[in-house]
Amino acid sequence: MKKEDLIATLKKIVKPYIQNEDAFENLSENTDFIKDLKINSANLVDVILDVEDEFDIIVDNESMEKMLTVKAALEIIEAKLSEK
Amino acid sequence: MIGNDLVDLKLANIQSNWQRKGFLDKLFTPKEQEYILNADNPFETVWLLWSMKESAYKAYLQIYGDRFFSPKKLACSLLSKNKGTVLINNSLFFAESEVNEHFIHSISFSEKYNNNFLTDCFRFEHSDFKTQNNQTYQKVLEAFASELKLPISLLNIRKNTVGIPQLFQDKMLHKKSFSLTHHGQFGAFCIRN
Repeated sequence: MKKEDLIATLKKIVKPYIQNEDAFENLSENTDFIKDLKINSANLVDVILDVEDEFDIIVDNESMEKMLTVKAALEIIEAKLSEK
Repeated sequence: MIGNDLVDLKLANIQSNWQRKGFLDKLFTPKEQEYILNADNPFETVWLLWSMKESAYKAYLQIYGDRFFSPKKLACSLLSKNKGTVLINNSLFFAESEVNEHFIHSISFSEKYNNNFLTDCFRFEHSDFKTQNNQTYQKVLEAFASELKLPISLLNIRKNTVGIPQLFQDKMLHKKSFSLTHHGQFGAFCIRN
């Protein structure tokens, strides 16, 4: 999957949970889920569960720990997809 | 250090489905899951434990500053219905919670329980996130102004790079530990004396 497609899919996943529209419109690799998008931390687990469902991967605890930014999420998704 | 977290129960019920497959496993240790599944009110226990974790993590961040998303590394033990400890990477935090029909508000301390703090919970009229955020800042600034006997115009709060709010008086950093929280219709803060 191309990076632009990954970002587009991730954007679709996070949309229901964001609380800052401006940051969402300007989403980039450097966007922080909590600090920028203001996603409620309990909802971050929904983002992770949705990522698992969407890409049919398992995000282990160690990966989840780093999943605070779009960049980290993309790296984790790419790594897990390549293991398949 | 002190941290606090508030969960609006009505909103939590809409925002999250704790019974979603994988939800409990990702957020809670086996011991915490046992508390939840054996509770009279599992929904309330989910959010009690969650607010304990969040409040302790906010105190933890002020000491260590390393952000991570690993809810199971914040391990709760309940001592009573509204008191417990949270162990984070070998540091123990002490949490105390107020539970009512509207919200759960937890406060965590980095040393031991102490009464030497100021806290306030309030209800918002507007549901807009930004407005609530500003109003929470305003509330804690008012509390600081009255405690420090300074005009509020001299004080402001900025978040540092880790996202911890800090108090400044005329550009000078105050060392006071405090914490802000808001969710749904409610907001709260706590300040350690």
